[in-house]
Amino acid sequence: MLSKNKTGWLLLSPTILILGLAGLLPFIYVLYVGFFQWNPLAVDPSLQFEGFASNYRRLIFDEVFLESIWRSIKFSVVTLTIELSLGFVLALSLLSSFPLKSFFRSVHTLPLVIAPIVVGSIFKLFTVQGLGPLPHILKDYFGYTLNYGLNADQAFWMIVIMDVWHWTPFVTLTLLAGLSALPQDPYESAKIDGANNFQIFTYITIPMMVPVLIVVIFIRLMDSLKIVDEVWMLTGGGPGYATRFTGIHIWKEVFEKRYYGLGSAMSILYLYITIVICWVLYSVMVARGKNEE
Amino acid sequence: MRKILFALVASIFSFSAMAGGHADWFKEAGAPYKGTVLQGVAENTPPGQFAGEVLAKEFEKLTGIKVQLENTSWDQMYDKAIKDMEANSGIYDFVYIEQDIVYDYLNRDFLVNITEGLANNPDLQAPGVSLDDFTTFIDYFKDGSGDVFGVPMEAFIKVYLYRKDLFERADAKAQFRAQYGYGLTPATSFDQYRDNAEFFTHFCAAEGMECWGTTVQGHTGHPASTYEFLESIAPSFGLYNWGVNMDSYQSCVENGGQLNGGRAKAALNFWTQLLPFAPPEALQSTWSEVGSSFAAGRAAQGWVYGENAAWIATDAEKSAVVGNVGVMLPPTAPGVMTQAASGNGYIGYYDGGAYGIPHSSKNKEATMLWLQYVALNEHQADWAIAGGRITHKDTYADPKVMAVDEQADGYFTLMRDTGFLYAGAPPFPFHGAGRGAIDPFIYSALAGEMTPEEALDGACQALDTVMADLGYQN
Repeated sequence: MLSKNKTGWLLLSPTILILGLAGLLPFIYVLYVGFFQWNPLAVDPSLQFEGFASNYRRLIFDEVFLESIWRSIKFSVVTLTIELSLGFVLALSLLSSFPLKSFFRSVHTLPLVIAPIVVGSIFKLFTVQGLGPLPHILKDYFGYTLNYGLNADQAFWMIVIMDVWHWTPFVTLTLLAGLSALPQDPYESAKIDGANNFQIFTYITIPMMVPVLIVVIFIRLMDSLKIVDEVWMLTGGGPGYATRFTGIHIWKEVFEKRYYGLGSAMSILYLYITIVICWVLYSVMVARGKNEE
Repeated sequence: MRKILFALVASIFSFSAMAGGHADWFKEAGAPYKGTVLQGVAENTPPGQFAGEVLAKEFEKLTGIKVQLENTSWDQMYDKAIKDMEANSGIYDFVYIEQDIVYDYLNRDFLVNITEGLANNPDLQAPGVSLDDFTTFIDYFKDGSGDVFGVPMEAFIKVYLYRKDLFERADAKAQFRAQYGYGLTPATSFDQYRDNAEFFTHFCAAEGMECWGTTVQGHTGHPASTYEFLESIAPSFGLYNWGVNMDSYQSCVENGGQLNGGRAKAALNFWTQLLPFAPPEALQSTWSEVGSSFAAGRAAQGWVYGENAAWIATDAEKSAVVGNVGVMLPPTAPGVMTQAASGNGYIGYYDGGAYGIPHSSKNKEATMLWLQYVALNEHQADWAIAGGRITHKDTYADPKVMAVDEQADGYFTLMRDTGFLYAGAPPFPFHGAGRGAIDPFIYSALAGEMTPEEALDGACQALDTVMADLGYQN
């Protein structure tokens, strides 16, 4: 038994080592730096300890940071809702046969293989005033002015559209895999009992898909909460603060303004908030799943 | 591209010519470092491309030292260089030092003292290279004792460009006079600038042309807009050093600064009111897009960085307005020119950068050779033609440069004769943090989310908080 354990630990050791070096050590360092005031551009560029909670206390009253969190949560909720709904519809459609189905599935999956920074560039080229075709089309045919450099709402929704375009295929493919693996017996029983399609969907499909949905929701939630690259490319966080999500805000504080201590505290606090959101969501979903059983 | 090719061919000739001069020395001095690979990171500008595609190849042929220059975006360049120097990882052997970041780098002791390095290694001192050959722009890369920490590789002034073909049109002149009651000429005052902008926006629309009255470098999510305001518009209104009181490091009027004072508010009002007369891409435009917009013929006038001015005026492959570009000093408020001439102010930004060696470099000696190679007089004329930059005093008198100068409506002459009216960024070690505090307010003013007055009141408070935070205020 002991020898079996030893072999197990031996096999695990490279992974543990890599995780420790690449994950745990930086985390501990960020946690440590978060307790200090540290800006190398300061008159005194060394780490200044002003109490364990000084940076965290400051963040609680930092309106810009708090607004960026609220903005990120709002963005995540909106994109998640759209991507899940759209992804579910597409996954259900892909279960049935229709002409050019494989072609559609391949094309639909393409955005997934594109790097986020490239997605940002594509959307920028497509939508930028003066050069991009979309503002021209919208103006010429619909009389609508698209200028997300000026309009905060347009900037926010443009990023939502970009994220939905990029990540809905992931949701679709994951849900499709889940749907394909569902047992057919409950469906046959339901049909014999006279259930209609809507009832089958709400009382059989959804409850059986809960484990898959939990995975999809968590992956997308965590991803969308830390969005940076695409936004950086498209709007740079503007106009004003309109698309300054927490990831971008932290980047600007740390790498433009060099507030290493405060930025580290922001990262830790945001990680904590993300964990809390995920935990609450998980508890609600699991509890609901149990009730339905 | 054609320019780079031309420069490549020209440089092969100058390379052959140099063979009889300094080539032997570089060959000999580089021998111990043969096979070394020097890694550099710089902003992707025309001069940077020339250095990477022409000079680096020549240098390798001569010495066997390979130079890999990573020309990337402005943000990426800073990100990579600073992270490397902070971590002391030694990835880069030389980095681009933009004039405005040099005080930060010196303050943090990132850079090798080149003067000292050469003095301590006489064997590395190349004949034909003298730091005295540089224009006064090199002074920005010196410390208090006069030692050099960066070898200038580009320097420009931000000028006023205008479309000669539009300003000279008889129908435009007649319409302008009828509408405004005075003659149509390139702007020398802000009122005239605004009138020109408004007029050409309507004139172009009536003529069915895709052009507007002015450029505005107004990206609402990129520091380029803050830079245009602080470095070009504000100084021409007489607001210097970001409105920061250089004794007390305060920027709000109530504390002795000027960032939310009358001149600043007039400047921001003037600038934001130009937006209706700017191409629609203005709010997503950095310095690069402004250059492209002007080159595409989409603006009648504008403040344009010198690195773009030369190719816009001369490169028919990239610019639709070759032969039609006029170059002048930008308009200024009354008294500003006098202050600038007496050294008590400036009318705009003297932009540029240098290559420096981080302490973390593992190949300092070989890099010293490369930087001296870059500084050789022989390369300067071709480099000026390819990149619109001049860092050496003698380059202005080179016949090839003078020919391009004529084509570019005297841009180089203007730079030589009036460069002293311009200034680099103020000597703030907290440059990045300070600008980062101001950015969102400028973005909001441009987007119309705040009035210029509200934006500057907010900006000065944010800047004061940063300067207090970092310990600069008394």
